[in-house]
Amino acid sequence: MSKRKKARGSLEKTETRDAWIMMTPALICLGVVAVYPILRTFWLSLHEMVLTDPLSGYPFIGLSNYAKIFQDSRALDAILFTLKFTVVTVFFELLLGFASALVMNQGFRAKGLVRAAILIPWAIPTSVSAMMWKFIYNDQYGLFNDVLYRLGVIDSYKAWLSTADGSFMALVITDVWKTAPYMALLILAGLQMVPDEMYEAAKIDGANVFQRFRYVTLPTVKTTVLVALLFRTLDAFRVFDLISVMTGGANGTESISVYAYNNLMKFLDFGYGSSLAVLIFAVVFVISLIYMKLMGNRLTEI
Amino acid sequence: MATKHWKQAASLLSAGAMAASLFAVPLTVKADDAVTISFSFDQGVGEATQQMVDAYNESQDKVRVETVILPQDANTVHDDFVNKLASGDTSVDVMGLDVTYISEFGSAGWLADLTDLVDPSLTEGMLTGPVEGATIDGKLVAMPWFTNSSVLFYRSDVLEELGAEVPTTWEGWMELADKAVGVNGVEYGADFQAAQSEALVCNWVEHVWSNGGDILDADGNPVVNSENNIEATELMKKLVDEYAPEGVTTYTETESEQVFKEGKCLFIRDWSGFWSSGQDEGSKVTGKIAATKLPVGPSGTESHTCLGGLDLVINNNIDDEHKAAAADFISYMASPETQKEMTLISSQPPVVESVYTDPEILEAIPFYEEFVDIIATGKSRPLSPQYAKLSDAIQRNIHQALTGEAEVAAAIETLQGELEELNK
Repeated sequence: MSKRKKARGSLEKTETRDAWIMMTPALICLGVVAVYPILRTFWLSLHEMVLTDPLSGYPFIGLSNYAKIFQDSRALDAILFTLKFTVVTVFFELLLGFASALVMNQGFRAKGLVRAAILIPWAIPTSVSAMMWKFIYNDQYGLFNDVLYRLGVIDSYKAWLSTADGSFMALVITDVWKTAPYMALLILAGLQMVPDEMYEAAKIDGANVFQRFRYVTLPTVKTTVLVALLFRTLDAFRVFDLISVMTGGANGTESISVYAYNNLMKFLDFGYGSSLAVLIFAVVFVISLIYMKLMGNRLTEI
Repeated sequence: MATKHWKQAASLLSAGAMAASLFAVPLTVKADDAVTISFSFDQGVGEATQQMVDAYNESQDKVRVETVILPQDANTVHDDFVNKLASGDTSVDVMGLDVTYISEFGSAGWLADLTDLVDPSLTEGMLTGPVEGATIDGKLVAMPWFTNSSVLFYRSDVLEELGAEVPTTWEGWMELADKAVGVNGVEYGADFQAAQSEALVCNWVEHVWSNGGDILDADGNPVVNSENNIEATELMKKLVDEYAPEGVTTYTETESEQVFKEGKCLFIRDWSGFWSSGQDEGSKVTGKIAATKLPVGPSGTESHTCLGGLDLVINNNIDDEHKAAAADFISYMASPETQKEMTLISSQPPVVESVYTDPEILEAIPFYEEFVDIIATGKSRPLSPQYAKLSDAIQRNIHQALTGEAEVAAAIETLQGELEELNK
């Protein structure tokens, strides 16, 4: 008895040891590319470190950089703008994404082609599509002006990216154009998990199309939608390249990532820039926690 | 079983080969005395520079220069150098660095002191502006390479059609612009760069300087909040509102040049290099362009262009042997002979003064006769280790004033406050 137990124990031990050995390369990789930079950024954020001022000796200043964020009206404006941008874009992406997923879920010819085509905006690198859209909004040759002019919406060409409202609208449209397809595909995958029998049963019970959506479709795809929302919210909150290319942060469109980048790479203020980066990390972490709470423990089931 | 062993042996062998290849590179380097240095610069001057480097490599056998060409974007180049220098990297020895970053890099201790490394007579024959910009606290930390300045390009055909003289003041140009709209396809009186970017800083400081104003005084204190500066900014806003294309506050060089090349504008304020790129294939204004000095503002006496250009700098992290080799190379690049040759190929304005009066050069680029004067009266943007923040403050506040998000006087006051904050 005791001999068998011991044998099993050593087998388990060997397995555990083997598992550790096999995971080591992956763990080292993770440590080098993920854990170390995050810890290092946090460590830097506790220092006064402006690279153009090496004579300061880069002293440890505790949480002063974090306190500075809340006195810096530019940082607060950036946070507000980022939240506004996140809420508005994710809302429209969900709306459009869900709608197009419902359409694509219906059987029709060339379904495969449509599904592939819809991914194109998402597949183009953001900086490239941002350049493209910047030209679309151009005040002299822009397609956007041309279309609106022909439709009679505007009576002369406008410089959309030269005003605060225009810039915000342009950024939202571009982001929705780019990422709604991604949302649609994720939700489509969820929709395809709903068994037809459930719809049939609901039909027999006399449920109309809205009731079937409310009581059959929604509960089944809820988790998928939450996952899609989680990804999009995180991405939208970190928005950088789109803004950097299209407006450069002008007209009140400076996101918190753009501001952090300016502090780090332009002003060479590694201390303060790092504290902004850590703030982004913290907010993103909290957003993830909220979504996970909403999903319960179903995240791992997908 | 046998196959498995073979596979193992094969994978071991290939792993070994890969490991060996790590060491193979240094072995292939010729065991001669040549010191190899790497030279990094942006693509904008790539071709001409490569020719100069090749000529240098052929001219002697002590130093071998390898080139690393970066994209043509001042910010990208800046960030690439910052990444390398901040981490103490020694993979790059010589860099072509935008003049506005010299002070920042110098005060971070990243640039080697050239005072004892190069022959002092080299900088004696150079234009004073670029040399001053390369000097920090009496130490030469950069070698001026070439300069750049802006001019006003205008449509000579339109002026001819109207029988007008070339104005010398902004008011004169506005008066002319009122008449010029509608002539030969001109839709807009003015064209320049007013997007929230470094280009806006250049445009704005030119307006300020040409109106008798300034940014910092001799002691480095901000003097932005002045009558002259407010007047200059209001004039700029008038140009934005009444004369320039609607989107001028979103234009950097590229966008503004597009509109001018379409033949829609009476004039454009641009860098001297637009003389050739503005008349390339596809331009509708080829042969219809002339250039003149920037106009003078209402309260100014003389116009001043904003000086740009690149300097050659040496990475301070590298050892003395490489520094000496690098110094030899940059001395070659800054010599009057190389400067002349480089100018002939690239039409980049040189820093050696004698090149401008060289008959061979004047024959190729007749425009230089007037140009040397423009450069001589040009000014450098404020030399400050905090330049990035200073520039950022100007960009944001002046852009807000031009788009009407803030009143001109209020924006100038905020800017003054922000610059004072920086000085603390």
